[in-house]
Amino acid sequence: MRVALLLACVAAPLAGQSVGSHLEGRVPAAAIPVVDSLVQVAGREGLPTEPLVGKALEGGAKHVVPALIVRAVETRLDQLRSARALLVRGGDAPPATPAEVATVSGALRRGLPPPVVERVVGALPSEPRESALHAIADLVAHRLDADSSASLVIDAIHAGLRGGRLLDVSHAVLEEQQRGRTWAESFARVRDELPNVPAAPKPGEGTVQRARRPSSVSRAPTPP
Amino acid sequence: MNPIDPRIHRALDGEISREALPPELRRVVERLESAAALLATAPEGGRSVADRVLARLSRHARSPLRRLARWLAAPHPVTLRIRPVWSLALAASLVLLALLPEERSAPVLGEHEGIAQFVARFPGAHSVQVVGSFNDWRTGTIPLEDRDGDGVWRAVVVLPAGAHEYMFVVDDERWVPDYSANRFVEDDFGRENSVLIVRPVKG
Repeated sequence: MRVALLLACVAAPLAGQSVGSHLEGRVPAAAIPVVDSLVQVAGREGLPTEPLVGKALEGGAKHVVPALIVRAVETRLDQLRSARALLVRGGDAPPATPAEVATVSGALRRGLPPPVVERVVGALPSEPRESALHAIADLVAHRLDADSSASLVIDAIHAGLRGGRLLDVSHAVLEEQQRGRTWAESFARVRDELPNVPAAPKPGEGTVQRARRPSSVSRAPTPP
Repeated sequence: MNPIDPRIHRALDGEISREALPPELRRVVERLESAAALLATAPEGGRSVADRVLARLSRHARSPLRRLARWLAAPHPVTLRIRPVWSLALAASLVLLALLPEERSAPVLGEHEGIAQFVARFPGAHSVQVVGSFNDWRTGTIPLEDRDGDGVWRAVVVLPAGAHEYMFVVDDERWVPDYSANRFVEDDFGRENSVLIVRPVKG
């Protein structure tokens, strides 16, 4: 509680700060005042602002005209509001955390039907849902039925799997399918294995050895 | 060499009286005797000429540092005696060292960081880079490499765990999604971004 109060004290003044200087030189000047005001509105509403700033920077990098950038940022703001409303409907006590709002917004953008997202929110109260939603979105991206995918992932949650292990569930289904099984067979096989689904392979020692950090990352990204 | 009058020798040896000599010979005898007296005088401070020369030299001797500096600056003949087999081995080691790939130390990954591998096929491209939400869509931070020139470009990058949207930028102008990603999302600008899920390595 004390931590939340402290965070609120710190976040409130930050929410009112202009992001104009951050966008300057990277976003067309004509778009900056409008984007700035939209970001401030999001901050006042307790919504995450990073996705809006990121969208404006993306538009600037892609040399998009100012009107389109503003429209895309407005769209993102609406998506964030919808995501928060869904979280509240799913049982989260308002206000939903900005991180969860961004996660749910990203899942909706990836094409997950709102009722499916609500089911996951209800199955994982007060817990990060990012991995669960990604696991379902991965299956849906392979043209699997959204409801069946959500049921499997929720079964995995009930079996005790959390975080990255939920991504192992979708990975295992796709592996089974690649071995020639039908989707129904793949689902059934993975469900039978719960909670002991095989872990997705991790990067090898050589890969880690070769990895390097980007030469400059100005801020930590927020999930889309 | 002028012969010396034998009467001078005799006068100097005391065999004849000096007064018995003619005046010009008597003057020669006197000069010779005064020269002999001068030579017979004791050296300065009772020291020999050699002693005095050495004393003068030591007074001008340089400090050890100056002597060392002078020695270092001066050329010296150096003779190296190497067996051909050793010199060949040394040359081979140097060549091997130059040919070996540069070994980099592995990055230390944080609790919420993972590894992302980007692979894309762009034959004929001069440059390929990846931009996305992880680098604020900033170009120039993650270039891909095609070391063997086969048109397959690669990069292995440490990124924060989570979902990231990204695209490839080919030759600094062409924006292309990663078609191998299997995850896509509308970018709200009429195109699609690829979506990458980075799992924490220490998870």
